[in-house]
Amino acid sequence: MSDKPARAIKLNVINEPKDSYKGGPSSLCPGCGHDQISNVIINAAWENGIKPHRIAKMSGIGCSSKTPAYYLGQSHGFNTVHGRMPSVTTGAYAINKDLLYLGVSGDGDSASIGIGQLIHAIRRNMDMVYIVENNGVYGLTKGQYSATADVGSKKKKGKANETQPIDLCALAINLGCTFVARSFSGSKKQLTSILKAAMSHKGFALIDVISPCVTFNNNDESMRSYQYVKDNEITLHMADYIPHFEPMAEVEVPEGHFTDITLHDGSTIRLETISDNHDPSDSMAALTALHEAEVEKKHVTGLLYFDATKPSLAEDLGLVETPLLDVSDDQLRPSKDILDTINKEFLNQ
Amino acid sequence: MDTIANDFTINIATANGTGSQSANLILLQSLFDMGVPVSGKNLFPSNISGLPTWYIVRLSDEGYQAPGDRTHIQVLVNKATWAEDLAALEPGSVVVWNMDSKMPMDREDVVSYPIPMTKLARSLSPKLAKLVTNIVYVGALAELLGITDEALHKAVAGQFKGKASAIELNTTALELGRNYAKENFTKTDPYVVESREIEQQRFFMEGNEAVALGCIFGGVQLLAWYPITPSSSLAEGIIGWLPRLRTNDEGESTCAVIQAEDELAAAGMILGAGWAGGRGMTATSGPGISLMQEFIGLAYFAEIPSVFWDVNRVGPSTGLPTRTQQSDLAMLYEGSHGDTQHIVIIPGTVEECFEFGWRAFDISERYQTPVFGLSDLDLGMNRWACEGFTYPDVPMDRGKTIREQDVFEAMENFGRYRDLDGDGIPYRTLPGSGMAPILYRGTGHNPDGVYSEKPDDYFALMKRLKDKVNGARDHLPAPLLREEVEGDVGVIYYGSMENTIQEIDDILEATGLKVSQCRVRSLPIHSEVEAFIRRHRMTIVLEINRDGQLWGILRRELPNDIVGQVHSVAYSDGMPPRARIYAEKILETIKEVSQ
Repeated sequence: MSDKPARAIKLNVINEPKDSYKGGPSSLCPGCGHDQISNVIINAAWENGIKPHRIAKMSGIGCSSKTPAYYLGQSHGFNTVHGRMPSVTTGAYAINKDLLYLGVSGDGDSASIGIGQLIHAIRRNMDMVYIVENNGVYGLTKGQYSATADVGSKKKKGKANETQPIDLCALAINLGCTFVARSFSGSKKQLTSILKAAMSHKGFALIDVISPCVTFNNNDESMRSYQYVKDNEITLHMADYIPHFEPMAEVEVPEGHFTDITLHDGSTIRLETISDNHDPSDSMAALTALHEAEVEKKHVTGLLYFDATKPSLAEDLGLVETPLLDVSDDQLRPSKDILDTINKEFLNQ
Repeated sequence: MDTIANDFTINIATANGTGSQSANLILLQSLFDMGVPVSGKNLFPSNISGLPTWYIVRLSDEGYQAPGDRTHIQVLVNKATWAEDLAALEPGSVVVWNMDSKMPMDREDVVSYPIPMTKLARSLSPKLAKLVTNIVYVGALAELLGITDEALHKAVAGQFKGKASAIELNTTALELGRNYAKENFTKTDPYVVESREIEQQRFFMEGNEAVALGCIFGGVQLLAWYPITPSSSLAEGIIGWLPRLRTNDEGESTCAVIQAEDELAAAGMILGAGWAGGRGMTATSGPGISLMQEFIGLAYFAEIPSVFWDVNRVGPSTGLPTRTQQSDLAMLYEGSHGDTQHIVIIPGTVEECFEFGWRAFDISERYQTPVFGLSDLDLGMNRWACEGFTYPDVPMDRGKTIREQDVFEAMENFGRYRDLDGDGIPYRTLPGSGMAPILYRGTGHNPDGVYSEKPDDYFALMKRLKDKVNGARDHLPAPLLREEVEGDVGVIYYGSMENTIQEIDDILEATGLKVSQCRVRSLPIHSEVEAFIRRHRMTIVLEINRDGQLWGILRRELPNDIVGQVHSVAYSDGMPPRARIYAEKILETIKEVSQ
């Protein structure tokens, strides 16, 4: 018997251990960028102190959409159909607006079959976090280009892609999306801060995460390989997340320029200037940054665009304060007297 | 000359978008208020303005509501169909026509009443002449047929509720038409309207409006829809009732409404609602159901309550968007890829439209499966006499949904897809509850909801789903039977055919054939249907489609020993069913089978 006392398990602000946020073992290829994102999700949810059962994990179909099985095992989830997770999430939200909807999708799921639903969820400013695990190829069907494959990029097999890609961040900014970020599965710190901020945002938060496919698209000629992204990432700013329940703890005030953005739940994301100061409220600046990166065959990451002023779907629906799920049956069904009155009105019209 | 009272059909040919609909509804309502059994069919084009429209008003003391075999009185306003409409008339028919149209009246074997409708209308209001023209012919018809001013004025007041200037304009236009007919014509046709004692107070109601109100009383919590003829008025009916019936003093609603980007999204949204524990529904037509197939399979396989109303129009493809048919039944019953089987409930009257409107949610939550309400354009968009709506006789059935922690903790061996009661229906917990969270999926799963490709798991799951839906059959709306004691021929029919069946029956009876009737109101087929078939030597399945879709389902599902005695009479040309066509086809079929 060892005399060593059991190591205290670290708890978060709601006294939950990190284990409460974990899921089942991953069945993705070893080294897959998606697994790193799953870990970031676990960390972000734990550190943000969100009750795990108050999260709804939503996904479509594809490698990325399988990942909800690998995190947040105490949350209900719905692995829906290809490209149509936004609509299912919208319907669930109408019934229970108090859950945190965390959608995970891929570039096939979001930029091809599901682009219409993505666009309309953004248009409604549906209150959710929407992560695109973007690797430029279809994985489960063994390595076809997706609609986000960069021009000139070549996957492991076949010709280089010459078709113009869809930049989901540019698209989202043009649609008036209220939170648009790009990150890299290899940039754990940045991604964690952005994801935590997205969880504190009310409205549609799109995080397009470059997440290399180690099996089909991690070769030297690929513009979405680990090495290429590491060498060609333009980081707009360092991002720190300061939760509302722990003001300024653990975060040192940087020496240079920084911008604090207050999120809906009172938390803050602090953006520390690296080179040129990027103003996330300036959509044209964000589009310019994306365009310049594309021309230079680089990937720009950071919080590209943010707008706290737009009403979200909740305001648009005009519902009672109580989530509809908790509205009692007798409030949902009008009384017999009312039907009698209606019958009388019809007869006397 | 002998008169013919309350037994004739008026056909009014106008152009779409000219305001003829409100004039025709005034005619219909005034006849209704005189106690005359009357029905109206709007045959409208897929167009906003300009294309031909016909409105068929059938007066029938027998209570027949189908369009009838022929036109007795033709109102001609539309130049585009003038020649065709005129040529189709039987000798002796009456023609009320607009002499300002400069179109020829080249039939001498009809009773002709020329009216300068446009001139009269212009004299009243040059600006609104087009609209007023329609009211002028209603005034003239009133004079020729004997419709009272009292009934007309009441109908006008009802049509233009509270709009004094519109009421005045229309009342004056009616007088212009009436006076012109009075001063210029001597009645030489036999058709008259006679008031009838009103025994049972009724009101006019469209099926879509009735379903809408039923859904409100069913506690709908999410309406997600995409506009499509002929279902839009169902969704808009719900939207119309919400402010009064489901909104609090602060203007906050207990029902969300989302106009989706397409039918796929509408289906996804109601699945999301059902998954979250709410009552979601959509209203669409065949093309929408085609688009929703993938989600329908997911709802079936992942066992998500969801309610779909299909107001059937003519397919395939875009088909005849403004005509009626019963051609979506097979698609609804077996929607989506893979082995599926869905609950379908089929109202035949506006009262049932209301009832099935609320009941659909109970059934869907009870069986945790999609439920389809099947209506059609004829039932949904035309006006039918309604006796009033009956309040739900049971509380809302929220099914085997566990909402309390102590109930959950008392359960043994819980698994989202485990059949604990032997009825194929598992228990479920809801997102956000913290109880037994799982990742719902459209992939194969075991009783705990965990991904599985194991042969035993898949086989057991598919068998349980089959048992579950089959187990619903005798808890769904039972067929309605009208049996002849000595009848050896049975007729099975469903939906809006209800409004033609009496006339078909009378035509058959006039030939000496008495048939029993069985109106199917749900799928999977109720055991009463099989019993009905067994009680008859021969059964005809009567449908408004080409292929006999219910007949096909029956043939596959009935025991082999009686399959041979079930025969199909299926016919559709886009029109609401005309009794004589179906009666003759029934007689032909009986003859063929008996040979």
